[in-house]
This record gives sequence, C-alpha cells and structure tokens, in this order.
Amino acid sequence: MVWKAIAASEIGTAHQKRNQPCQDYADFCLLDGDVLVGAVSDGAGSAMHSEQGSRLAVKAILNYFQVVSEHRQENINHSPLSYKVLQKIFGDVLEKVKKDLQELADENNYYLEDLACTLLVFIATPLNTMAMQIGDGFLVVRTPDGPYKLLFEPDKGEYANETTFVTSDSALKEMRVTLIEEPISFICASTDGLEKVAIKFSDYSPYDRFFNPLYAYLQETTEPKQEEYLIPFLQLPDLNKRTDDDKTLLIASFEG
Amino acid sequence: MTLGFPEFVDNPENRCPVLLLLDNSGSMNGAAIAELNRGIASFKEDVLKDEQASLTVDLALVTFGKTVEKVQDFVSIDRFQAPVLKADGYTPMGAAIEYALDLIEERKIAYKSNAVQYYRPWIFMITDGAPTDQWEIAARRLQQAEEENRVLFFAVGVQGADMSKLRQIASPQRPPLLLNGLDFRSLFLWLSSSMKRVSTGKIGDSVSLPPVGWGTVGS
Repeated sequence: MVWKAIAASEIGTAHQKRNQPCQDYADFCLLDGDVLVGAVSDGAGSAMHSEQGSRLAVKAILNYFQVVSEHRQENINHSPLSYKVLQKIFGDVLEKVKKDLQELADENNYYLEDLACTLLVFIATPLNTMAMQIGDGFLVVRTPDGPYKLLFEPDKGEYANETTFVTSDSALKEMRVTLIEEPISFICASTDGLEKVAIKFSDYSPYDRFFNPLYAYLQETTEPKQEEYLIPFLQLPDLNKRTDDDKTLLIASFEG
Repeated sequence: MTLGFPEFVDNPENRCPVLLLLDNSGSMNGAAIAELNRGIASFKEDVLKDEQASLTVDLALVTFGKTVEKVQDFVSIDRFQAPVLKADGYTPMGAAIEYALDLIEERKIAYKSNAVQYYRPWIFMITDGAPTDQWEIAARRLQQAEEENRVLFFAVGVQGADMSKLRQIASPQRPPLLLNGLDFRSLFLWLSSSMKRVSTGKIGDSVSLPPVGWGTVGS
C-alpha cells in the first residue's frame, strides 16, 4: 500500500522575458504513512511578491495538516464527512493561510494583495479524497478502473477567469470543495499554465494522452524523481510554444 | 526504460476581438482619410510581426459617414484586407456605436459556441467631428457595457473633433484622446503594441498599456 508522488514547477517564457520569478509553487507530504496532502499555488502575475505568497500558502497548508495529524488523538472527531464538514475544514485552512500571508505582509511592509495567489489542495487517503480549489488551475483524478475526471470546472466568467485569489475578499465564498468517496489511483494538481494543453475546453474533459504518460511514469518507477521526468517535460521547447506561463505538476499514484 | 511525455490538446487559440470604428464623413476628406488608410495598413503589418498577436487578434472594421457600414466582419488579422476608405456624408456616430456593440455581442456568441476563450473586446473609435444623430442612448449603452466589463472603448479625436461630446460618450475612466496632427501611424503602432501585450497576458488580467505618444487628453 503506497503513495508515490512528485512535484515540480518551471518558469514560463513570458516570465523570463519580463525578468519575473517563477510564481508557481507545489509541494506535498505524507502523514501517518498513508495520507497524502498536496498543494499547488500560482502567484498572481499582477501582484508584487506573489512568488512569496504562493510558496507560503503551500507551506502553510502542509504545516496545518501536519499539526492536525500530530494532535489527532486529542481531536477525536468522527463526524462523517459531509459537504458542510468539508467546507468547515477547508474554511479553517483558508483562515490559517490568510493569517500566515498577513503576517508575512506585515513583517515586510507589503500589502496583503502583493501576495495574491490561487490555491489547490487535496488530502488523499486510501479510502477517500478531499479537495478544494480557489481560483484557476486544475485537479484531475482517476479511480483504478474509471476515466480521468476534472474535479472542478474552470471557474470562468465572461472572460474565462477574472480569477479569485486566496487574498480576495470573496475567497471563502468562491472556494470550491469536494469529496471523492472511493479510493483513487491517480491525482494531478496543476496551475493554469498547463490548462490549455491538458484539458479539452469544449467539454472540460481531461485529455487522456496528457495524463496517461504521467500515470504510467509513476506506476513504472519505484522511486520517481522530478529531475528524471517532470522537469525535462516542463522544460520541453514544444511545451513552451504552447504556453508561456509558469508550469506546475504535482502528480501522485496509489497502489492498494 | 523510456517513457513518453504527455501529449497536448489542440484547443483553439484565445481570441482578442478588436473593432475599428472609423469616421469617414465628408470632413475627413483629403489628407486625413489618406493617412487613416495608411495607418490601418501599418496596423496589420505590425501585428503580423508578432507571432502570438497574429494568432490572437480578430479584427473588424465599421465606418460611419454616408451610412454605417460593416466594411469587414471579424476575421483573423492575417485575413484582414486593409481597405481604401473614402470620405463622404455626415457623422452617424450614435448608430455606429450601437452597431459596434451588437457586432461584438454576436461575435461572443460565435466564440462561445466554439469553446473559444476570448479577451475583453476593444472598440477603437476615431472621429474628426461630432455625432449628427441621436447619440445619448448609444452612449448610455456603451458606458453600461464598460461598467460590466463587456468591452473596452477608446475614443480618439482628430483635429476638429468635438472633444467635449466625446467625453460624454466615452467612459469616465477612459477619456477621449486628441491625436497629434494626422499621426495615425503612431496611433496604430500603439494599438498594435497594446494587442501584443494583451495577447500574451492572461485572460481577465489587466495589462498596463504602452504610453500614449501620439495624443493628449484633450481639454
């Protein structure tokens, strides 16, 4: 019974041209041996220090769940997971992330908006998976026998996004959460840089031929390494022709 | 072990619709219309120099003079043929603005039904006069569209334009600009650079536009 996961971000060519840093960040951690927590975040292009925002948001998430996990004994709370409970859990998480961002802003004399970033989080156990998303980007999962599934359709207004950020007043209202009540075998979290090469816009379905190789890599590799596969992929000139934005992949597979 | 990399979906390119709304009333006759024609041609040439912008920009052209005329419906810029406009007639600006707004809404429907994502449409109006028709309703519609982020409207006055009326028509956040002499070329190069910036930006993001070297906020 094992999770395999890797994550990487690569700077987009447009950011390079403008001497901007890579504003994407992704990371994950394994708790109690079989719970995988993953988070990705895309710092707003228009925000001054959003690369710090996205990094901190991801770190705050992992840290939050580590603490929760360590105190699990004290917090025995076996209420069944409902939509309401999920909203509460992720609402608390969002509070915490915002608080950390505010502290960073205060320490450095930034505005909170300078740290604006999106946020996608999942907590995957051998039995079920919880996920949340604020702003753009995408989460795709599959069960051992099922098709790839996009968890949240892009939150597009008229111009396809006007995206929400963790720092937006409407963040809690715009936050989307879901629970997958069956074991998953694969999950992929990503920012919007890869959206147009991975998701078919006509029906918002994940593109099998994008995700199959990622899944296969995890299945066929004992110890997946980002520099062996993810980074070379994210640096492909062919990919940079399709997208000039920062690119991020956090992929994980589970074998029961 | 060799593993293939992911393959990519061929989603349609994002589109950036731009509608040129040009005054070809009688008073534009002579050097003004000639320079305007040259400006349009240089716009196309300059956009085509940029790979991303040429893939993205959809251009339409509507004139108002003798009539309101759709000279060119939205086409990708490489298929746009720069016309030779002639000047004649009055200045039915109100009707022209309403027509432009309708054309844009139509275009959006076409984008949506083809799953094409698009940037906020631009209407770029150039005039040397004042509306000779009823313009108040058009102005109200336009400002409402601006407020609802459905369109970006730029008004450019050429010498002789009624700038105070243009100010009433344009959105308060984007007052009309007065062109320096007949420097249409600089104006269209600015429009082209703006399109290059928009087309590399994220949809929905506000981009900062290049400085306006070709005009002034006329008083």
